[in-house]
Amino acid sequence: MRNTQSTRLLFELSQPGRRAALLPPLDEQITAAAEPLPETQAADGPPPLPELAEGDVIRHFTNLSTLNMSVDTHFYPLGSCTMKYNPKRNERLAALPGLADVHPLQDDDSVQGLLRLLYELQQMLAEISGLPAVSLQPAAGAHGELTALMVAHAYYAQRGEDRRVVLTADSAHGTNPASAAMAGFETRAVKSSPEGLIDVEDLRSKLDDQVAVFMLTNPNTLGLFDHQICEITQAVHDAGALVYLDGANMNAIMGLSRPGDFGADMMHYNPHKTFSGPHGGGGPGAGPICVRDFLEPFLPAPTIARDADQDHYRLEYDRPESIGRVRTFFGNTGVLLRAYFYIRSYGGDGLRQVSEDAVLGANYLLSKVKHILDVPHGDRCMHEFVASASKLKKEQGISAMDLAKRILDYGFHAPTVYFPLVVDEAVMIEPTETESKETLDAFAEALFRVTGESGDLVHEAPHSTPISRPNDVAAARKPIMKWTPKDS
Amino acid sequence: MKPEDLRYAESHEWVHVSEQDGQQVATVGISAFAIEQLNDLVYMDLPEAGRTLKAGEEFGEVESVKAVSPLYSPVSGEIVEVNSQLPDNLEWLNEDPYQKGWILKVRMSGDEGLDQLLDHAAYQKQCAESG
Amino acid sequence: MYLFHTEADRRAMLDAIGAASMEEILRQQIPADARFQRPLELPPAVSEMQLQRDVTRAAAENASTASHVCFMGAGAYDHFVPAAVDAIASRGEFYTSYTPYQAEVSQGNLQAMFEYETLITQLTGLDVSNASLYDGGTAAVEAVIMALSVGKGRRRVVTSATVHPEYRQILETYLHALDCELVIAPLDESATAENLLPLIDDDTACVLVQHPNFFGHLEDVRTISDKAHEAGALVVQVFDPISMGLLKRPGDLGVDIAVAEGQCLGNPLAFGGPYLGVMACRQDLVRRLPGRIAGQTVDRRGNRCWVLTLQTREQHIRREKATSNICSNQTLLALRATVYLSLLGPQGLLETAQHCHQKTAYARQQLAGIERLELPFEGPVFKEFVVRDRERDVIGLNRTLREQGILMGVPLERWYPELEDCFLVAVTEQRTRADIDALAGALSNAPTQGVTAGA
Repeated sequence: MRNTQSTRLLFELSQPGRRAALLPPLDEQITAAAEPLPETQAADGPPPLPELAEGDVIRHFTNLSTLNMSVDTHFYPLGSCTMKYNPKRNERLAALPGLADVHPLQDDDSVQGLLRLLYELQQMLAEISGLPAVSLQPAAGAHGELTALMVAHAYYAQRGEDRRVVLTADSAHGTNPASAAMAGFETRAVKSSPEGLIDVEDLRSKLDDQVAVFMLTNPNTLGLFDHQICEITQAVHDAGALVYLDGANMNAIMGLSRPGDFGADMMHYNPHKTFSGPHGGGGPGAGPICVRDFLEPFLPAPTIARDADQDHYRLEYDRPESIGRVRTFFGNTGVLLRAYFYIRSYGGDGLRQVSEDAVLGANYLLSKVKHILDVPHGDRCMHEFVASASKLKKEQGISAMDLAKRILDYGFHAPTVYFPLVVDEAVMIEPTETESKETLDAFAEALFRVTGESGDLVHEAPHSTPISRPNDVAAARKPIMKWTPKDS
Repeated sequence: MKPEDLRYAESHEWVHVSEQDGQQVATVGISAFAIEQLNDLVYMDLPEAGRTLKAGEEFGEVESVKAVSPLYSPVSGEIVEVNSQLPDNLEWLNEDPYQKGWILKVRMSGDEGLDQLLDHAAYQKQCAESG
Repeated sequence: MYLFHTEADRRAMLDAIGAASMEEILRQQIPADARFQRPLELPPAVSEMQLQRDVTRAAAENASTASHVCFMGAGAYDHFVPAAVDAIASRGEFYTSYTPYQAEVSQGNLQAMFEYETLITQLTGLDVSNASLYDGGTAAVEAVIMALSVGKGRRRVVTSATVHPEYRQILETYLHALDCELVIAPLDESATAENLLPLIDDDTACVLVQHPNFFGHLEDVRTISDKAHEAGALVVQVFDPISMGLLKRPGDLGVDIAVAEGQCLGNPLAFGGPYLGVMACRQDLVRRLPGRIAGQTVDRRGNRCWVLTLQTREQHIRREKATSNICSNQTLLALRATVYLSLLGPQGLLETAQHCHQKTAYARQQLAGIERLELPFEGPVFKEFVVRDRERDVIGLNRTLREQGILMGVPLERWYPELEDCFLVAVTEQRTRADIDALAGALSNAPTQGVTAGA
């Protein structure tokens, strides 16, 4: 019952003269005031956009939507992505006209309600992280990393220290070294130990007066909390360097452990993960950062200040030591507000329960999956764990990719595969706290069944999806990145 | 050119040195082993003729869908010719890596780098150990 | 709340794990010295009902385009958003999905991304588009960094005071880390970038212009492109997507990379974000293009389909050598832009641009007739223009008009000390003649400094 007629490309559905949006007629006095554009500037006609009726557009996109898996429709155990339920109340509230229809350059007096919510959010993020100074400006996690590294750069410049190196864990997400390079640092990788944690000896051997920042993820990308974390951060501080925490995995530790307490000096949050902002097909997110008080002067402008005596909030632009601005206007307010609603809905004890349930769910699933796949890094984990299909591949010819593709046929989104790079044939599973025991049982059961299936069935999977095994090589060799009339 | 007659860098480039107009010219490509390891190449970035290379210097890269591999010059000298049709015909690398799949011709400025190269047997051994 | 487990579930799960308690698991994982020992000090949990009451109250404290008539622009605009845009974007299958790494279960997003990319190429007249970046300002900066990487060794970036001041601020922040020279042609009486031409030299990697510019004026992009290309530099143009209904496209003016703030394409103002950064370029620059790209291919059964492609440019493969550290795109907002442009079509875009252009001309004419005001800059504009208050009381005017339900414009003092007595007025297709007349009326009747209203 799929409607393939309406999911042809917009450009193929287009019919000359058809249209959806109609504008009111222009008033005569307005037309009389108009001056024609200079000939050198005026286009011969509008761009060749498709011509469609509103009904075409709605049916097209509604049918397209049904080709996606989503959190609303499916279990999405995508490791490192924290695909938790996105509360509907957040959407309703963020769409209130007094929040959604506010111009970013309105004067402070006209946005007191909004500034108050955002100011309170800053305080909440500071409390959860244990790091007192907050910038809500960065637009995404990677953007937060970059901003914090620029803050570190400015801090050392002010101290007259020439530190040019950023250390990253070899298991780290690719954004860590990419952000460091953009902030003007050289990067060096620190090895992982056989247990999947930071190799402290390797770290110590690389710490010298050139190192500005050590970027780490804790709990790390294997879902393990580094048991030497305080020793590690102490060693970094002893070398005069700063510790940056990639906050991607904050869903595991809210109310249980605070980065500021275990020695992080700077961190970013991914509120679209931890605080339930919907992922929107890959964005938008936000990447607020929290830092220690001595780094506060370097945060981007503006920040939100509160004049306590008047109970008045204002955007503070006068920040002479600031690194400057990292994006236009205030920040991804819509995403930040959803984080605020989420934190208000749970409170402190509730957030702790969220993290406990996330850890419980992951350990429960681990206790089942370890009978199906190798789990190289232990019997217990935080909010996620990494299994390996290495043995399965050798013995049955079923790779991590095959597993990922076949599990789609069972009505589950695939886990993350081939990340982190330190595990061969990695299958990274993060169930989150918003999945029931029954769902976790069903997923483990499906995984078990796949491992018993014939090679052919699995290699050609998925079988039930709209398409199967797209040709990535052809796509990259001769890239087709837009529709052109001759393709029709 | 036969693979047995070529010399190889540890980074999998092959070299064939010949005499042209009294000067040593090195033809450079990448080995069949490397091409197989790289698996479904999708893109190749090559330098322009006229550029001077040092032995060991990166001169370009090849990409598969999910990996990037740099190419290193096994010799020093000036690039005199580039196989400019190769990036649009990457299948030549699979079909005929030692003839149609040549990448660069370099007019050598000296023998620098040559002593680092492996003969065919030693290269085969290296591949067997890494594979 | 949003949790599932009953106490019985938790007990059963712990049993399956073989743990006596949750505390046992936590103690095993988190070392004692890293354990947080007190409850988080956060406001207490509230019910949905209570939250809605609180937030609705806070929202009601803010002026908005719903409560006020908006003449504010400066990079974020009060354009009309058709209901169909919200209807599509609020489908859970779109907004609760993730990056389309598993193409088989993401064809809806991937096809929409491909359609978005095609629409952006149609809009800009350039060859390729990515699937969007964070916002207009960061997109402009990414374009400049791209141009620097193409012009290997060239370290100079030339731009103008007529480019959005916040975009230039971001550029300064980023370039500081990259050790480049940023040269800014100052504001002159033409309010255009004409005076940047002599600044372009053989060390220039990139010329960044905005057209229509920050003040609404039209730039001679063709001449700038020719001059830049002669010197071997690339040209980046910040453009206004709505203006493409009337103006020549970047690709038709010789521009190499075009960027834009995509908020105007069906996205709410939302106090600054989330928005989307539009970016398109010439074919030969595609390997340097940052951000995700959806491409067309076929599946194993030969069916046409879409995937993320050219991923080797990106940070998860190339790490510190990547074209950018960006690892997301604003899919949901790009989807809104895609639906918006589908609804407008060529005729709708043309008429929207005409409304903006003609209503702006009318507003300019009306405001020019007010004794207290003057227009400091001449020359054609698209949908914005600068107004000077001879009484030098922009803040007071702004407050007075807000009390009368009008957001009159954006004061310029923050970025341009020489324009401390000026503000920028934007007129979108949503403004009616009555709105503009009301603005003119309120401005001409506003009390001068030191004189109280009604006196």
